[in-house]
Amino acid sequence: MTTIREEMWKARGILFNFAITDLKIRYKNSVLGILWSVVEPLLMLGVLFVVFSTMFKTEIENFPIYLLLGLITYNFYKNGTNIALVSLSNRSSLITQIYFPRSIPAISSCVTASIMLIVELAILGIFMVVLEFTPPITIIYLIPIYFLGFVFIIGISLALSVLNVKFKDIGFIWGIVLHAGFFLTPIVYQFDFLPEYVQNILMLSPVVQLVTMTHHVAMYGTLPPINSILYTISSIFIILGIGYLIFRKYQARIVEEM
Amino acid sequence: MLENLINVKNVSKKFRLYHEKRTTLYESITGSINRNPHYETLQVLDNVSFNVKKGESFGIVGRNGSGKTTLLRILSHIYQPDNGSVETNGTVIPVLALGLGFHPELTAIKNIYQSSILLGISKNEITEKIDDIIKFAGLEKFADTKIKNFSSGMSMRLAFATAVQVDPAVLLLDEVIAVGDINFQKKCLEVMMNFKKRGKSIVLVSHNPFDVERLCDRAMFLKDGRIESIGNVAKVLGSYENYMGKLKK
Repeated sequence: MTTIREEMWKARGILFNFAITDLKIRYKNSVLGILWSVVEPLLMLGVLFVVFSTMFKTEIENFPIYLLLGLITYNFYKNGTNIALVSLSNRSSLITQIYFPRSIPAISSCVTASIMLIVELAILGIFMVVLEFTPPITIIYLIPIYFLGFVFIIGISLALSVLNVKFKDIGFIWGIVLHAGFFLTPIVYQFDFLPEYVQNILMLSPVVQLVTMTHHVAMYGTLPPINSILYTISSIFIILGIGYLIFRKYQARIVEEM
Repeated sequence: MLENLINVKNVSKKFRLYHEKRTTLYESITGSINRNPHYETLQVLDNVSFNVKKGESFGIVGRNGSGKTTLLRILSHIYQPDNGSVETNGTVIPVLALGLGFHPELTAIKNIYQSSILLGISKNEITEKIDDIIKFAGLEKFADTKIKNFSSGMSMRLAFATAVQVDPAVLLLDEVIAVGDINFQKKCLEVMMNFKKRGKSIVLVSHNPFDVERLCDRAMFLKDGRIESIGNVAKVLGSYENYMGKLKK
């Protein structure tokens, strides 16, 4: 028992260290350095904001906020899983030379993504002030929703991190999945535009559920329907379980594939 | 006093030697339909048992590919053995020929932090020791240089200095002494002697019989993953030199 506790205690320091290193290495050799972590999403969101709010006519109320909220939420899942994908394979020199729990890189990638999420939410706050949008009080429910999202990406990340060592094409496949997911999720459009049978299929995706929930609580001041909450929680924990099983199957032999 | 810090019992390890390595999904799918064996197994370690006592230094000799580095990796839990068991008492730190898992894009100081945290010491402890580490490695001028710009000798020195400061119960050294210059080699030997005096153990892999003779209390000669001889240093080195001499002819 003591060894497990010792290992967890050790892991805490590593987790934080990896998360920070990931962020720093992302902006290595740049003039602005860590400032990019604020400037990059600001410019990105700015471009999309200008493109979608001037070129496309839409009837969605408070469209800029709607768009930014969806983008930020989707970015969270995208960043977390993308960083996790290469988190083990990029650390081959470390893994072949020092022992540490193999789940740490995947989990720390999700911590990195959470830090990026917080920065982007702060930028959203600025946009809200500029656009004179007052969010409803239910916006605090974003915290449990993002916590669920965190559990979701840990499940995916655990599986992706080991699979990418074994099968190099996982990276390409995941890139396409993320691209398709972006357009299958109500980020630049509203769900009502779609035929009902398409809606029913898409609602199976926990990402669609989570993004819809953020719209509910942060914009309309309504709570998502209870069966939608129950479905999302159970599907996310099933994904976490499957991700963990895949991870456990491959993790022992992963060093030998490096 | 004669407590065992490392206990290795009947450890075996096989590796797969892929003839055509399947790394993509497509290859893996087509390969599973085509039933020809695409790999053969290589027995890297075969039924290896030994122990290392407290305060003892243990030498391992053998030609390239005889399983020495694999054994060190098993001792430090990087590899899992297929059969047998490895028990270690206290922290075991491997300093392998490649360094200590340094990240090329990070500076020397940041790498010391990362590696030491991975090896289990707290950030505050490292901050206290960081000057000593840099000084011991003789890298005062290069503390803020990225590892990618280091020579192999420099990163080896940094790895050794960091590992020693972490002060583990067992230090695993793989061809470490050979990399540094003469002055650094002398410093290494001093540190290792000191280490032994304080009741810590060393496992030393070396191609240089002279180093093993000077430093080790007991030794083991690995031949194709099996223990050819073990025990008295002079006897083990004798059989090793004899074997290598035969190979030459």
